[in-house]
Amino acid sequence: MISLILIFPIIACLILFLVKKRALQNSVIFLYSLIHLISTICLCANINPFDIEQNFFALDGLNKIFLLVLSIVFMAFSIYNIEYMKDDSSSIKKLKRYGYAVLLFVLSMTGAILSTNLGLTWVFIEATTLASAYLIYFHKTKHSIEAAWKYVFICSIGIALAFVGIILLTISTGNLNSLFYEDLYNNARFFNEFWLKLSFVFILFGIGTKMGLAPVHFWLPDAHAQSPSPVSAMLSATLLNSAFLMILNVYKIMIAANTDNYAKILLLAMGFLSLFIAAVFVYHINNYKRMLAYSSIENMGILVIGTALGPIGMFASIIHLIGHSLIKAAFFLTSGNILKIYGTKKINSISGILSTDKKTGWLWILSFIGITAFPPSILFISEFFIIKTMIKNGQYIMGIFFLLLLTIVLFGIGKAVISMSFGNKSEKIEQVKMSWLMYFPQIILLVIAFGIGIYFPFSETIEKAVIGF
Amino acid sequence: MENIFIILLGLSMIYIASTSRFLAHINMLIAQGWLLFFICMTGLPSENWFNIASFKLTTVNIEHIITLFVIIVETLFVKAILIPIFLKKVLNNTHAHRDSAANIPHFYALVISSTVLFAGFMIANIQFPAFELISPLYFGVSVSIIVISLWLITIKHTVLSNVISFITMENGIFLLSLAVAKEMPIIVNLGVLLDIFIAVFILGMLVKEINTEFKDLEVSHLSDLKDYE
Repeated sequence: MISLILIFPIIACLILFLVKKRALQNSVIFLYSLIHLISTICLCANINPFDIEQNFFALDGLNKIFLLVLSIVFMAFSIYNIEYMKDDSSSIKKLKRYGYAVLLFVLSMTGAILSTNLGLTWVFIEATTLASAYLIYFHKTKHSIEAAWKYVFICSIGIALAFVGIILLTISTGNLNSLFYEDLYNNARFFNEFWLKLSFVFILFGIGTKMGLAPVHFWLPDAHAQSPSPVSAMLSATLLNSAFLMILNVYKIMIAANTDNYAKILLLAMGFLSLFIAAVFVYHINNYKRMLAYSSIENMGILVIGTALGPIGMFASIIHLIGHSLIKAAFFLTSGNILKIYGTKKINSISGILSTDKKTGWLWILSFIGITAFPPSILFISEFFIIKTMIKNGQYIMGIFFLLLLTIVLFGIGKAVISMSFGNKSEKIEQVKMSWLMYFPQIILLVIAFGIGIYFPFSETIEKAVIGF
Repeated sequence: MENIFIILLGLSMIYIASTSRFLAHINMLIAQGWLLFFICMTGLPSENWFNIASFKLTTVNIEHIITLFVIIVETLFVKAILIPIFLKKVLNNTHAHRDSAANIPHFYALVISSTVLFAGFMIANIQFPAFELISPLYFGVSVSIIVISLWLITIKHTVLSNVISFITMENGIFLLSLAVAKEMPIIVNLGVLLDIFIAVFILGMLVKEINTEFKDLEVSHLSDLKDYE
């Protein structure tokens, strides 16, 4: 099944290359998302009828969750994409390139998630940059060129620094000539501490760039704001997760080598800085897609803070990751609806979404309720666990600071969402009739996010995933 | 023997820092490619069969040939031929000749880059137990190359200069991978190649697009996206 997920996009690219048909690109993307979801479910349920023996890709307790989240978000993306790209007047050539880029983007994220080798994970993370650059640059405006340039350049430097980290890690391993995670975990206690600590700094900052952690987050608001809305959803809900998984795997090596206290300080510093940056910028922002991008930076900060708090915090982080991906994807997809109706990304040019298009308005409000962790959103449980762990550990000041920053972000996003959703309908806005395909994916994502907030059946799976942290 | 090549590689960074002509930068990239090739040929601890002093035809086996092929592709073909040709093509298309408006005058750039390189040599001479796992001179010079390149990215004003500095940084990282006193996994070599692929194709293509859209290659055009519009 793993081979199927990894080989299909290459075959699909070939089909796209050979057949010149406008509608084909959407069908191929949808077919891949379907295969991806079915294969992932089979793999999670231990049904693996045909697979080739190999060492480089495997499913474990942790990456299983990441893969499932990727599959669900990709499925939502592919459904929304059918309608979103329908009115696009781009040439067949451009649409084909979009198709290649989406397929290779998902392939590289899947590879990064399933890889059992640190070097290979790095290669796939690098490949995500290559594949997604075109998606950000798709509209070919001055602003999208700027965003793509910043994205490629900043991420490439970050990934190059992560490579320095891998070289330093190789130095620390002494006689071990392997980058397989299993070998690294088993031999970590013999590693040279100096080089290992140094390597973690480089890998955290390098891959942290890709994950959107402050202070190396600068590409993120521009790229998320300029790319087509479905692509923004994929960037925020899946790409950042793939980078986070690589950081987690390296952090696990630090734990095995007994140098995790040092790593925790770095994770907490970057996490709180991300929260702080989001709180400062989200308050005055006038572009709703940028606002959502800053919310992603905030949530990435929460993920690494949770990770640094030990096993319970890690448990909360994984729940947060699931919730954030589902809700943020719904939020970004709904922003695509708003852009279609109003034709602008400016918050103060939009009011009365509820009276203009009720369904979009409600999706916008529900996504806001979800992302700001109001019950029954699943994010309420994760943030509650994180705060509870801080109090239990006696880290009261940290807890207060955490709550304060979350409240500022909540106020910033809430102010914008309320002003956009309520108020009078603008008379200049014509009624745009949208297909149900532009609401359905968000509804499903939000139903899952709120549903697992009421009844969470995956505790055991996550407990297994956090073994070793 | 390899020490001479390493020092020359470090010195090439001083030249890149103190000149503004793109053609000179590209020529230095070619020189760096050759220097890295010579460093591999003379100094790799795991591949010392290349050494002219200890070379015996009877010790050469198929694995050696494959390693030699990988080294030639990485250093000579990609770094000394492919990248410079591509950059020269971009240069011809964009009619750009020099980055004359760097934030810092050339004299100061020369002093700062020399100081960083000097610091690199100092690092190489520190007596530190952890340094037993590496070759100190490789490490010191590669760190200074990476630092100088990152600094150049921040002070230069055109996107082409940024791409060239990025490639010199990649060369510094390549030297760092040679500092490891053991064989690196093959996957690392693949990674380096992919990195270069990104540098050349994506950045090169974007440079072309930026030039068409904005009429020149100034980085200042690329600061229009702001938080408070």
